[in-house]
Amino acid sequence: MTSFSERHFTHNSTQTFFRQNNMASRAPATTGRLLVSFRKWYYNAAGFNKIGLMRDDTIHEDSDVKEALRRLPEKVYNDRMFRLKRALDLSMKQAVLPKEQRTQYEEDVHYLEPYLKEVIRERKEVEEWSKK
Amino acid sequence: MKGIRGISKLSTRLYAAQVARKLDVSVEHVKFQPQEVQVTKLPSGLMIASLDNYSPGSRIGVFVKAGCRYESPENQGVTHLLRLAANLTTKGASAFRICRGVEAVGGSLGVTSSRENMIYSVDCLRDHIDTVMEYLINVTTAPEFRPWEVSDLTPRVKMDKALAAQTPQMGVIEGLHGAAYKNALSNSLYCPDYMVSQVDSDHMHNFIQNNFTSARMALVGLGVEHNVLKQVGEQFLNIRSGMGTAGTKAQYRGGEVRVQNGSSLVHSVVVSEGAAVGTDEAMAFSVLQHVLGAGPHIKRGSNPTSKLFQGVAKATADPFDASAFNSNYSDSGLFGVYTISQSAAAGDVIKAAISQVKAVTGGVSEADLTRAKTQLKAEYLMSLESSEGLLDAMGSQALSGGVYHSPEAIAQKIDSVSATDVANAANKFVSGKKSMASSGNLIKTPFVDEI
Repeated sequence: MTSFSERHFTHNSTQTFFRQNNMASRAPATTGRLLVSFRKWYYNAAGFNKIGLMRDDTIHEDSDVKEALRRLPEKVYNDRMFRLKRALDLSMKQAVLPKEQRTQYEEDVHYLEPYLKEVIRERKEVEEWSKK
Repeated sequence: MKGIRGISKLSTRLYAAQVARKLDVSVEHVKFQPQEVQVTKLPSGLMIASLDNYSPGSRIGVFVKAGCRYESPENQGVTHLLRLAANLTTKGASAFRICRGVEAVGGSLGVTSSRENMIYSVDCLRDHIDTVMEYLINVTTAPEFRPWEVSDLTPRVKMDKALAAQTPQMGVIEGLHGAAYKNALSNSLYCPDYMVSQVDSDHMHNFIQNNFTSARMALVGLGVEHNVLKQVGEQFLNIRSGMGTAGTKAQYRGGEVRVQNGSSLVHSVVVSEGAAVGTDEAMAFSVLQHVLGAGPHIKRGSNPTSKLFQGVAKATADPFDASAFNSNYSDSGLFGVYTISQSAAAGDVIKAAISQVKAVTGGVSEADLTRAKTQLKAEYLMSLESSEGLLDAMGSQALSGGVYHSPEAIAQKIDSVSATDVANAANKFVSGKKSMASSGNLIKTPFVDEI
């Protein structure tokens, strides 16, 4: 099932689990209304949207993710930095955003996913070639 | 005993004899006929040229009319980046795969660019030509120019520029073109300083869209069959059709650039407008270049056949070098003298060199003319000896004229240059508006209007 890393901002979250499973969770286009409403409930229950974060802001930074972040266009990277700073500030104050300002399920963009996929594909290609 | 036991095995051994017997049935020797260069033009405008020289190694090149003269003021330096970006990720293969794939078959992929053309070439053994051809097509037609890969090129651009700055000749020649022309040919082969990290993926994509069109490309092969190239050209190289953006006509203006630095050797070149490629005048200028002297033919020799050298030797006792400078572009050219001298003697050397050219306007002796023609023919023919030289000649001729002239035809054209043609060429230099570029300690170097 979907992971629990959304609740933790530290680096001991189950990141591989997160990556594989969340990619499957959005995939089928023929989601029934029940499945979608469950997802929405889960997204809100996870809680990172309360401090203004998107899913890809919470990903654990291993070497692949670091390379994918290096490749982000400047604007996307700056937006990510802003959200992280705001979240840290709220966390320090033990506060959350008002309901209107929280990230909604529909607004959440998986901006890092394509870059991360490409980084992993390239790494796998290098590993394949080294085996030969 | 061993010997008797061995005898029964005789029929199953004597392998060499068995094989030798088979070869007695003589195989008809395959006779290789010498081939001519074949040139065809596809409906899309793409030129295909090939020569099957039966060599075990093949070489294929894609020639594009997309040299630095086609850069616009907004994207100066984009061709330098394109030269460095030949190995970056394409739609069909990642950068890593291109590198390893080409290495795996023992081939090589390279880019050269001049002011007129860009040349992407691959070479490898004949059997593996399909593999490298695939990479070549990917690189020329479908590069992706990923933003992070392009920004990773910046250190390589800086390294290229630093290497070029080490030879004074590069600085002088680039400066000369910048001073002699108002546009097009004044663009430098290297990225200007202010654009070093500013050229990005969009510039490169736009340049490719506008300039890498079928009508401006030629697919040239050495050691491949013509039909194979034709197929590849029809299937893959007609992605962008049309002429793309037209280049501007180069306007000669005649200026001067002086770079004062601490070097004790002064490099100086004085030129005036010459002839375009392929014209009879260009041939006359080439012969004139060899009449005057175009580099020593014997290392550390005394250069007795070079008029420039002998003339300047009378003007100074210090070490020097003088040779005739000639370059031809599609719509213009430059002709003049390039001198290297000690800074105190610079003025004398330059003036002596120019006066030697003036002396040629009065006429050339038959002996000198024949000698110059022979040297020019030898230089051309020797440049065709290597596969790179031959590919270059085939590609440049296919691109500029659509026809490949055999070496015999070129030799005939050289022979048809008369002494009056050479004298007229010298006259054109003497009377034309001069451009000059110098670098070194320039205290004693005259300005262009003082020559």
